[in-house]
Amino acid sequence: MNDSDNDALLAVRGLKVHFPIEKGIVFKRRVGWVRAVDGVDLSVRKGEALGLVGESGCGKSTTAMAIAQLQSATEGQVLFEGRNLAALSPRELRRARMNFQIVFQDPYSSLDPRIRAADIIAEPLRIYARRGIIAMSDAEIMAKTLSLMERCGLSPSFATRYPHEFSGGQRQRIGIARALALGPKLVIADEPVSALDVSIQSQILNLLKDLQKEFELTFLFIAHDLAVIEYFCTKIAVMYLGRVVETADSATLYHRPLHPYTKALLSAVPLPDPRKERQRRRIILKGDVPSPSIEHRGCPFRERCPEAMERCALSAPKLASAEEGHEVSCFLFPNS
Amino acid sequence: MSDESILRVEGLVTQFRTEYGLVKAVDGVSFELRRGETLGLVGESGCGKSVTNLSILKLIQSPPGKIAGGRVIFQGRDLLAAPEEEVRVLRGKNISMIFQDPLTSLNPVLRVSVQIAEALQLHHGLGKREAKAKAIEMLKLIGIPDPERRADDYPHQFSGGMRQRVMIAMALSCDPDILIADEPTTALDVTIQAQILDLIKNLTARNKTAVIMITHDLGVVAGMCDSICVMYAGRIVERASVDDLFYDPKHPYTRGLLDSIPRVDRAAAYGRDGPERLYSIPGSPPSLVDMPDCCPFHPRCAHAMDICRSSYPPETRLEGSAPRTVNCWLHVEEKRR
Repeated sequence: MNDSDNDALLAVRGLKVHFPIEKGIVFKRRVGWVRAVDGVDLSVRKGEALGLVGESGCGKSTTAMAIAQLQSATEGQVLFEGRNLAALSPRELRRARMNFQIVFQDPYSSLDPRIRAADIIAEPLRIYARRGIIAMSDAEIMAKTLSLMERCGLSPSFATRYPHEFSGGQRQRIGIARALALGPKLVIADEPVSALDVSIQSQILNLLKDLQKEFELTFLFIAHDLAVIEYFCTKIAVMYLGRVVETADSATLYHRPLHPYTKALLSAVPLPDPRKERQRRRIILKGDVPSPSIEHRGCPFRERCPEAMERCALSAPKLASAEEGHEVSCFLFPNS
Repeated sequence: MSDESILRVEGLVTQFRTEYGLVKAVDGVSFELRRGETLGLVGESGCGKSVTNLSILKLIQSPPGKIAGGRVIFQGRDLLAAPEEEVRVLRGKNISMIFQDPLTSLNPVLRVSVQIAEALQLHHGLGKREAKAKAIEMLKLIGIPDPERRADDYPHQFSGGMRQRVMIAMALSCDPDILIADEPTTALDVTIQAQILDLIKNLTARNKTAVIMITHDLGVVAGMCDSICVMYAGRIVERASVDDLFYDPKHPYTRGLLDSIPRVDRAAAYGRDGPERLYSIPGSPPSLVDMPDCCPFHPRCAHAMDICRSSYPPETRLEGSAPRTVNCWLHVEEKRR
């Protein structure tokens, strides 16, 4: 993916986030590592929506947190507009943060229950105005907040309400308005619709889509639901056990998945279509996702892989181009 | 599937008294389950799917809950009128249930073999040793590797998918007539979900167990069920065979729901340069507190008429490959409105 790094808004290179496993109460000693993210390369171009998909525990959210500098990386770099975020001073980082904001999964725990809706949305503006990074008066901030609320489908008359007075979908709208307040270039959306019901989910997806067009936003969209990812994103990266195993644009990934894991994942997604469901042949994977605390010498997927070969136990394949715009990390393809 | 009906729910009403007022969680639900049939109960959170099934087994905590009306006919008896001891005998033996979260529904301090064996000892009068042997046999059947050793493990030593397998083993150990599965795969990842659904399908087909599958995922329903009831605000608004419902939905809510799900097989249609917009149902589900007697869907419905705002539509029977009904004024003949 390094060839596209030049015009990339966000580039992630060899990102690793390892958490220590400690034992003992007074004298802590490290007994191992949880390799939550274990060598992720990504690049997101301006205006693109990159989807990060994978099962729970595969490191999607940790990747997002490390990109947003809310979690420090063990190894690797996060380049935003070509600048290594980890090397910035706290002051510079604060400035840079205006350009990347997060929408969180749980619309219940990501809003402070004791702050009114308008104040939640205005908070980032107030903080940046107080520090002199943006020049806005209180009146301007309030006007901007109300227009953001309106844009996100919340009536300005809700401004003085508290989070508990809103439904899940409306709370997610508050979270989105807050993320947009500082006019970011990149929005990291971590499972923004997983907590919502189907009829509300489509409202939020449409809203995000409209906002993307209107504000020319770039998205890093994280979800476990392939259908949601395919709908929203132009490009998809599939993660397994802390690594990216395949990337392609969404139509290619659906029609020509290459990695055995992607194939299994796609075949496991239930389709709301009874005739297709009856005809489908599912690839049912054996067993569970192994623990990320085990160090894998070979390919981390090999124990569940229906096409595992001898070679897979010896070394891990690397993400490499299998065809134009389609990268895969599997020994079935010569470049890996 | 045969035509023999094994469970009939008639006009079930379950209410909860809350500080905000009376909540009619289930408001006149009727359906029939045939032997070997898999019936899907679909709807969004708070529509009353779970409460319906808890009511069938009389598992509603009272107060604040109360089963205020209706009948649940199983083997010619009305369970709602039957004494508690009689229902207790049926639970787990004739009608068993698996829940969404396998961690909270297993006892953390008991070995899994003990938990599976409990029902066998209780309902089939097996001795301790026989029950344990049968429990191990069940673990083998559900695909737990090395069942003899794993039988002595505790729930926390199993992964999420394995725990749900153990729940299924418990639920099916007594060969029940009916299995109620309440969102059995919602907490699981898709590849594990595929394993579990496969397991439920195979095991229930063996003994012609009827299944009530509660879920919000229309994809799961399409692959598992023979017929479907769609619930909205405590009532069943449409009931049809799986094909009729998916290819020819009659209720505006069902249609809206089907149109608003993004589908993997439409990836190409969503396209490279900005996908098409998804259909979305405006607004959000109503509060069930002190519901007026109107169609609860009318504020979100594109076809709402005056009559929808003033009274609840009666059930209309339609042609279909299975008993098919819809509750919507659009399908009521004009002179009867």
